[in-house]
Amino acid sequence: MVSWPHWLVTIIIVPLVGAVLTPIVGRGRPKVIPVWSLGIMTATSLAALMLIIRVAQEGPFSYFVGGWARPYGIELHFDEFSASVGIICLIGWLALLFSYHYVAETIPVRRVPYFYTLVLLNLAGMIGFVVTGDLFNLFVFLEILSLSAYALVAVSGERVAEMAAFKYLVMGAISSIIVLFSVGLLYSVTGSLNMADISSRLAGVEQRLPVMLALAGLAMSFMVKAAIFPLHIWLPDAHSIAPSPVSAILSGLVVKVGVFGLLRVYQIFYGAGTYDLTGLNTALVWLGAISIVMGAFFAIFQEDIKMMLAYSTISNVGYIMMGLGLASQYGLIGATVHIFNHALIKGTLFLAVGAIIHKTGYRTLTDLRGVGKAMPLTSLAVSIGAISIVGIPPTAGFLCKWYIALGAFQAEKPAFGIALIFGALFIFVYYIRMVNSFYFQKPTHPEILEVGEAPLSMLIPILVLATLCLVMGILGRIPISFIEPAVIRMLGPFGG
Amino acid sequence: MEVVDIRPILAPVLSLVCAGLIFLTGRQTFWRRTWSLLAAVLKLGVIMSMLPGTLNGTIYVFKLMDFTPGIGLGFRVDALGMFFAIISSTLWLLTTIYAIGYMEPEQSKVRFFGFFALCVSTTVGIAFAENLLTLFLFYESLTIVTYPLVIHEETPAAFKAGKKYLAYTLIGGAFILLGTVLTYHTAGTLTLSKPGILTLANGTQTLTLLFVTLIAGFGVKAAIMPLHGWLPTAMAAPTPVSALLHAVAVVKAGAFGILRVIYNVFGVELLRQMNLTVWLAWLAAFTILTASFIALFQDNFKRRLAYSTVSQLSYIILGAALLTPMAAMAAIVHIANQAFAKITMFFVAGAIQRKTGKTSIREFAGIGYQMPYTMGAFTVAALSFVGVPLFAGFITKWYLSLGALEAGAWWFVVVMIASALLNAAYFLPIVYLAYFKAPPGTRFHVDEAPLTLLIPTVICALYVIVLGTTAEVPWMPLSLARTAVQFFFGL
Repeated sequence: MVSWPHWLVTIIIVPLVGAVLTPIVGRGRPKVIPVWSLGIMTATSLAALMLIIRVAQEGPFSYFVGGWARPYGIELHFDEFSASVGIICLIGWLALLFSYHYVAETIPVRRVPYFYTLVLLNLAGMIGFVVTGDLFNLFVFLEILSLSAYALVAVSGERVAEMAAFKYLVMGAISSIIVLFSVGLLYSVTGSLNMADISSRLAGVEQRLPVMLALAGLAMSFMVKAAIFPLHIWLPDAHSIAPSPVSAILSGLVVKVGVFGLLRVYQIFYGAGTYDLTGLNTALVWLGAISIVMGAFFAIFQEDIKMMLAYSTISNVGYIMMGLGLASQYGLIGATVHIFNHALIKGTLFLAVGAIIHKTGYRTLTDLRGVGKAMPLTSLAVSIGAISIVGIPPTAGFLCKWYIALGAFQAEKPAFGIALIFGALFIFVYYIRMVNSFYFQKPTHPEILEVGEAPLSMLIPILVLATLCLVMGILGRIPISFIEPAVIRMLGPFGG
Repeated sequence: MEVVDIRPILAPVLSLVCAGLIFLTGRQTFWRRTWSLLAAVLKLGVIMSMLPGTLNGTIYVFKLMDFTPGIGLGFRVDALGMFFAIISSTLWLLTTIYAIGYMEPEQSKVRFFGFFALCVSTTVGIAFAENLLTLFLFYESLTIVTYPLVIHEETPAAFKAGKKYLAYTLIGGAFILLGTVLTYHTAGTLTLSKPGILTLANGTQTLTLLFVTLIAGFGVKAAIMPLHGWLPTAMAAPTPVSALLHAVAVVKAGAFGILRVIYNVFGVELLRQMNLTVWLAWLAAFTILTASFIALFQDNFKRRLAYSTVSQLSYIILGAALLTPMAAMAAIVHIANQAFAKITMFFVAGAIQRKTGKTSIREFAGIGYQMPYTMGAFTVAALSFVGVPLFAGFITKWYLSLGALEAGAWWFVVVMIASALLNAAYFLPIVYLAYFKAPPGTRFHVDEAPLTLLIPTVICALYVIVLGTTAEVPWMPLSLARTAVQFFFGL
C-alpha cells in the first residue's frame, strides 16, 4: 500500500476536489458539511501517512503527472521536508473538528459551506506548495493558499475583519507578484521551471545579475509571507481577527509557507553550488534576531490575548529564520523541527484561547481573570502551550532553542545563540501575565466563574495538541533523526 | 560498578504521581493528606533502599530514552546525588507534616500540595540527573513549579515577589542553557558520570567563559551575591514554602549545580591548573560576611533568616571553590547541616507566627516562656550556625577550615571565625530576648503550637545534634560525602 505511486497526486487532488464539492454536497443538508470536510481531511491524512512512511523507508521520490518526464511535465517531489504535509493534515483536521460548534455559532449560516470550502482549499494549497517540484506550480499553490487565507480572515463579515483582510491582501498580493516575476527571471536565464532542473542549470549561467535579482525577489516575498520584521505589519490584525480555528491554521501553518519557500530557494541555490549566499544568510540571522526581540516586545504591550499570540508568532518565525540563516547543520535541524513544533504549540494556544473567548465572550487579560477555575482543562492547555513556546524543557519548544543555539556556535556566530536564549526570556514576560490572570487574580467579572468547559468538539483538539506539545518535547529525537539526512544532503559541502 | 535499576526514576515519578492524584482528588482533605504522606514515605523508602549499594560503590543507572539524538534523559545515582536526594526527601516528609498543620486555615490547598509534590519530584530529578541537559530540564521545571507556591497568597506583595523570583531564576536558567550548549559544543558530551569532561585542550578562553556562564547561572539559585536579590523578597510565601525554598529545594539545587559544574563538568584537576576558582572563593567569602552584616540589621524574623541563608549557602560555594578534599567534604556535608538547622528555624518562625501572630524580632521578648520547646529547637539551630561543637554546623566549619589550610589559604579561616561571631551576633540576641527579657509579670505558661507544627520542628532540631555528634558513624551523611569526595579527587 505504501508503495502505490499515486499517493502523491492523491494528496493534492482529494482536498482540492473536496473543497469545490463542499457547497454542492452541503446544499440543503448543512449538517453534512463538517462530516464531509472531516472525511476529506481523513482521506488526505491517510495519503500523507503513506507518503511519510515511504520517504522514511526509501528517501525522496518523485511523481511525474501524466508520465511526462522533467523538464517538460509537472513534477511532484516528496522529500523529508515535504513531510510537513503531516503537520498540515494534523492541524487542519483538528481545526476542522474545532470548527464544528464554533462556526455554527459565529458565522452567518449561508457562509458556512464556503467557510469549509475555503479551509479545505487553503490546506490543499499548502499541501501542493510543499510537494511540488516545479517553480511555477509553487506560485500557483501559493496563490491558492493566499487567496483563501485572505477570504478566511474576512469570513466573519465584521468591519475590522474586512480591514485586516484588506491589509493582508495588499501585502500578500505584492509579494505574490514578486514571486511570479522572479520565477519568470529564472525561467528566462535557465529555460526551465523544474526546481531540480534549474538547480543543475544555474551553475552554468553566465549572467549573474538576473539570477541574483530573482534570488532577492524570492527571498523578500517569502519574508513577507513569513511575516519577518519589518515585513510583519499585516500579521497581528489578520491573525487576531480571524475566527480562532483559522488563526490556528494561519499562525501555525500559513506563515510557515514563507519559511518553506525560502527553504526551497536555498535547496535550489545550494544545489547549484556556485552561488555565495553569505549576504542572504547574514540578513536572515539579523532579521531573525530582531524579529525575536521585536515580536516579544510588542506582545508585552497587548491586552488582547489573540493579539499577544499573533505577535509571538513573529518571534517564533524569527527563531526559524535565524536557524535557516545560520546555515549550519544543527541550526537548520532546529529550524525545520521548529516549523513542526511551533505549529503544534501555536495550534494549542489559538484553539484554547479561541475556546475561552467563545465561552466567555471576553478577550482581554483583565476581563478574563479567573477563567482558570472555570475552564480548568482549557487553561491547563494554555499553560502547557505557554511553557512550550518559551522553550522550558521538556516541552516541544525547547528543542529548537537547543539546536539553533548549538547551530550558532557551530556556525561560529555565538552572539546569535545568546540573543536567542535571552530573547526567549522576553517572551516569558507576557505569558506569565496570561497565566497570572487566568489562575491567580481575582475575577473582574465574577460571572466568569460560572462558565463551563467548551464542548468536546473543541476540547478534544485542544487536549490532543497540548499533549503533543509535551510528548514531542520528550520524543524530540523522532523528528530530528527523520530530518537530519535531508539537512545534511541539502547543506552538502557548505554545512559545517 | 553500574547497575541498571528502576529505582532512580521511580523516586521522582512517585512524587509526580502523587501530585497528579492530589490535583484529581485533593478536594477531600483525607485524600490530599493520604497521598502527600504516602508518597513522601514511599519515596524516602525507595531512596533509602539504594543507600547501602551507593555506599558500597554501586551506581544505579536508568536511561529513559534519548531526549535528543545522543543526549539521553538519564538518571544516575552517585554518592553526591544520593546525598542531595536523601536530604530533600527526608525534609519533604517533615515539611509535609508541618504544612498539613500550617496550611489548615489557608485557601487553595489543592494547588498548594499539588505543586509542593511536583517541587520535590523535580528536586530528586536534579539529584539523580545523569547529564547536564537532564539536570537543566529539572532545574527549569523546578522554577516553574515553585512559582505558584511563591505567589500562593495572591497579594500584590506576593505577585511582586513572584515576578522577581522568576526574573532572577529564568535569567539564571538562560545562562545555564547557554553554558550547557557551549559545553556540548566544546566537549561533545554532557555526562556527569566522570570527574570532569573538559580538558585544557579546549582553550583557556572558552573554558573561562564557560565557567563564568555556568557559575553565574547556578549562582542565582545558590544566592551568591550580587545574585541573591530574589531570596529575601520571596519571603512573601507561606512559611512551609520558605522552608522548602530556603533549606531544601531551590537554593540547594543551585548549590548542587555548582558542585556538579566544579567536580563533574570541569573537574578538580583542570580547575587547579587554570586557577579559575580563586575569584569564586573570594566572592563566596564576601557573600558570607556581607549577608551576615545585613542580617544583623533585619528586624523581620524571616528576613533575618533569609540573609542568614544567603550567607550560609556560600559556605558550600567556598568549600567547593577551595578544591581540596577536606573543603569538598565540608561543602557537601554542609548541604545537610544547613538544611536541617535552617528548616528548624523556619519551622519556628512559622509556629510563632501561627500561634502569636508575631513576625518581628522585637516582639519576641519572653516568648520562651510561652513556647519553650519551639524556642529550644531554635536555640539548637542557632548554636549550630554559630559553630559550637556537638552541633552540625561545627562539622562544616572544622572541615572547611582544614580545607582552607590544606589549600594554603589561612585567611579563609579568619573569614570562618568572623562569620561565627556574626552568626552569634544576630541569632543569640533572639535567644536572649526570648528567655531573659521577658516583660515584668510574665509567668511560665506553656501554650505551644499544635503538634503537627511542633513535632517536625523538634525532630529537625534533634537531628542537628545527631549530625553534630555522630558524624563518623557509618551510614551518616558524612560517609556519603566521603565516598563522593574520593571519586572527585581520585583518592
